[in-house]
Amino acid sequence: MIAAHILLMICLGAPLAQAFAAAAAPRPPGLRDTLQIALSLTHFIAACLLFGATRGGAEARLVLARPLPHVELAFALEPLGVLMALVASGLGMLHAFHSAAYLRAVAEPAPARMQAFMALASFAASALAFSANLFTFFVAIQALTLATFPLVAHAGDDEARRAARVYLATLLTASIGLLLPAIVWTYAITERLEFSALGVFTPPVDAVTLNALLVLFVLGVAAVGLPPVHRWLPSSALAPFPAVASIQGVAVANAGGIGVLKITTYVFGPRLAEAQIAAQGLMALAGAAMCAAALIALSKQDIRERLAYSMMAQSAAVAMAALIALPTGTFAAALQVVAQACAATTLAMAAATAHAATGRDRAADFAGLGRLMPWTFAAFALAAASLIGMPPFSGAWARLWLITAAADAGYLWAGGLVALAAVLSFAHWGPLASNALVGPAPPPEALKRPDGASILLVAPVIVAAAATAALLFLADPIATFLSAIWRAPA
Amino acid sequence: MAALLEIARNNAALIAVLAPFVGAALAALAPAGRWACLAAMAAATIAAVAACDLAARALTMAAAPPVAESGLALRLDGVGVFIGALVATLGALIAWASPAFVTRAPQTPYAVALFLLALTGWIASAYAGDLVTLHLAFALASVATVAAAALGAERDRAALSAALRLLIAAGVAGAVLTIGVALIARAGGGASFVSLAHAQLSAPGAGGVGYGLAFGALAMMAGVAPLNLWTAAFYGRGAALAVAAFGALGVAALLGALTRLAAYAVVAPALGEGVSRALLALGLASVAIGSVQAVGARDLRRLAAYAAAAQAGCVLIAVAMGSPAGFAAALVQIFALAIAALALTIAAPPHGALEALDGLGRRAPFASLALTAGALSLMGAPLTLGFLGRWRLIEAGVGGGWWWAAGAVIFASLSAVFYGGRLIERIYFRRASVAHERVHEPWRVFLAPALVVAFAGVLMGADPSMLLRAADNASRFLTGAAP
Repeated sequence: MIAAHILLMICLGAPLAQAFAAAAAPRPPGLRDTLQIALSLTHFIAACLLFGATRGGAEARLVLARPLPHVELAFALEPLGVLMALVASGLGMLHAFHSAAYLRAVAEPAPARMQAFMALASFAASALAFSANLFTFFVAIQALTLATFPLVAHAGDDEARRAARVYLATLLTASIGLLLPAIVWTYAITERLEFSALGVFTPPVDAVTLNALLVLFVLGVAAVGLPPVHRWLPSSALAPFPAVASIQGVAVANAGGIGVLKITTYVFGPRLAEAQIAAQGLMALAGAAMCAAALIALSKQDIRERLAYSMMAQSAAVAMAALIALPTGTFAAALQVVAQACAATTLAMAAATAHAATGRDRAADFAGLGRLMPWTFAAFALAAASLIGMPPFSGAWARLWLITAAADAGYLWAGGLVALAAVLSFAHWGPLASNALVGPAPPPEALKRPDGASILLVAPVIVAAAATAALLFLADPIATFLSAIWRAPA
Repeated sequence: MAALLEIARNNAALIAVLAPFVGAALAALAPAGRWACLAAMAAATIAAVAACDLAARALTMAAAPPVAESGLALRLDGVGVFIGALVATLGALIAWASPAFVTRAPQTPYAVALFLLALTGWIASAYAGDLVTLHLAFALASVATVAAAALGAERDRAALSAALRLLIAAGVAGAVLTIGVALIARAGGGASFVSLAHAQLSAPGAGGVGYGLAFGALAMMAGVAPLNLWTAAFYGRGAALAVAAFGALGVAALLGALTRLAAYAVVAPALGEGVSRALLALGLASVAIGSVQAVGARDLRRLAAYAAAAQAGCVLIAVAMGSPAGFAAALVQIFALAIAALALTIAAPPHGALEALDGLGRRAPFASLALTAGALSLMGAPLTLGFLGRWRLIEAGVGGGWWWAAGAVIFASLSAVFYGGRLIERIYFRRASVAHERVHEPWRVFLAPALVVAFAGVLMGADPSMLLRAADNASRFLTGAAP
């Protein structure tokens, strides 16, 4: 049995090694892709073992530096982080297979650079998941932003550069302008930044301060995509398909969700109930954003843009659930993060496969493609159903728990907004998926190659869709795993 | 041998001042440029070792600082020892990089000698025991820097304009400082720092005006906005060695002197509040104006000058707080500023336009690394000294209830994201234009000091305990009392 701290090191080191391998050995492509896949597999296996070890009560802490008095750059095991790392590494592994095939299929001119930065994004997401305190959390968010910025700018043209600037400016402005002051303020009040199930604010802190800090923290984690710091999400839609999957599926959006969850659970903890004014305001903002984003997604024809706005709606649901000061809210948020990660990655990879095989990336052009690529679009439809929240897929469970938590806390209006957003999500995914499956088949010449997409482009999509479907049976084990958080001794 | 070493250690401040002075004489007499550079390396290294040993004993081991009572009017207090070590160390690094700036030019020995003279002045200003010595030290450093800047005229006549701008600024600042020093001495009964520390001001009005003039003069020379009208021309057109020396050493020494003087002023009951307000207003203006100027800059060296103005504004805000935490934050910020400025100015390509940075990451990876480290530090990216400086400053502001000061620091950071991020974008995400694609790694081994600075910045950002302890101790014996 490998010790937990070794597994933790592997989970953090494997994506770094992946990035280094891509940069150091860009050629031959076979070696590069083999290394990418092998290291992502190592990452996933280590995350699985770590999940088992954490379930068995193992603890581990890794301290890299002490940049401030009483503050460490440290990583530790805790249920939320381990769960997110497991999901991200699993999806990352599938994405490594898929991106290797995609980059070859479209003859990408700089594949090694893209793979290196995607691996760095995966590293930063893992670092955020395992962050043991607010300082490490902040460092990980900055690293995630800087690692994904080159992915948005990857095309290198003026439009991509402009989008990348907006992306960088939004995420960094929020983290420096809102999150950093919140962290320093917290440090000034409590002289500690360590995550704890009891929260950081164990000394008495007045309600006004708690409310103000909650606003700063939640908006400071711009990766969750709440307005007015949401512009990065539409901007990321200009990135190439593998980068979109990495940003919206595997790394950034998840990191935002888990980030807000960590803030409400480990920074505020039981004191979240004392910041209800801010929490309700933010929930209303999340509800409005959820509906507005789902509505805007309807108007978007570019599949990446549609996915971006859809992800904004999904992430807002995470924020809303995390802000409900009840264990059911925490569970709903965690389940939503897992469900949206699986579904979004599946959708992004399926769209990428369609693009690689046909060159199409507009929603209207997807009609009937399911007849030429049945496996890919079956997976697409399944993932879309989960994002919509259609029973019995995992997204439905997350929504159900969210509405239950909102009702338990007396926020019936929040439940109503969630239901409205689900209807709007159906409007932008439902017709698209059904048209793709049952629409008139395009001529066979629509495919660039007569035999369609390669197996490496299709198989990861199917496996990701299977994982999305399997979540139906995993809600209970996830709840048991996470229960350690709300069973923490008072 | 041990006895000699002990004598040397007891006179470390004197050695730190005199070594570059003697080195300057040797460099001026050197028959060839390479000998002058060797003399500079040796002299600056000796000064750095002496100053660092002094700082280690005084600031990290909590030993009582040795004081030279005769000869040159030297006085060691916390800020002086801290800044002296910083300036001497960075001076040594520039000396080791000096062959990159002045290779094979016929006037190389003079350029190196002038750099060492400026270094003498900057170090002496940190250890100055009275305001007159401080004034003379700055005069020496300024004149030497003006001459060094003008030496670039052989390659580019615009260097004369740069030197002229600096000369005018130094002249005006010198005149104002003279009047300020006279008024402070009149009000406090003497110009020595000892008398200032115990001064009961007989004429608070004159003292206030004197301090105001002195702060204004030092701020003007340090390039604090809006008194920085001269910096664009100097940084943009001056000889590279002069710009690197002034950008890192001069600014650190001047801000250190300003911090030192403020430490004496804020303890005077009749002046404390007024001084604090004046510094605060100047700091806020510098943050705002410097940030806007840096965002609009089209030249790397000018960008460095404007960014330095914004960072200097943060230093003034920290000093204005008047608390030990504020002074410690100011020292950390000065340290971070000097390191970033040195990385940016040493590693800057010969052609300063930002377009020259396009695609530099491929053509000159090591120079790009140093520039990136400098840019990240300016942006206040985590695990850099810039982040540490901002953190301490915000923490001091929040602790003292100065929320808006913390806001100003965050504004500076956000602006730095734009101009620092633009540098990184150009270096790594753009292709070189035809005009610049032949520019490759410029200085080979002489780039090492810039890399040392870059890595030191990252290492100290990751584990800054020594720096923080030194800054805290320096702020605890601001006016000379042992910690």
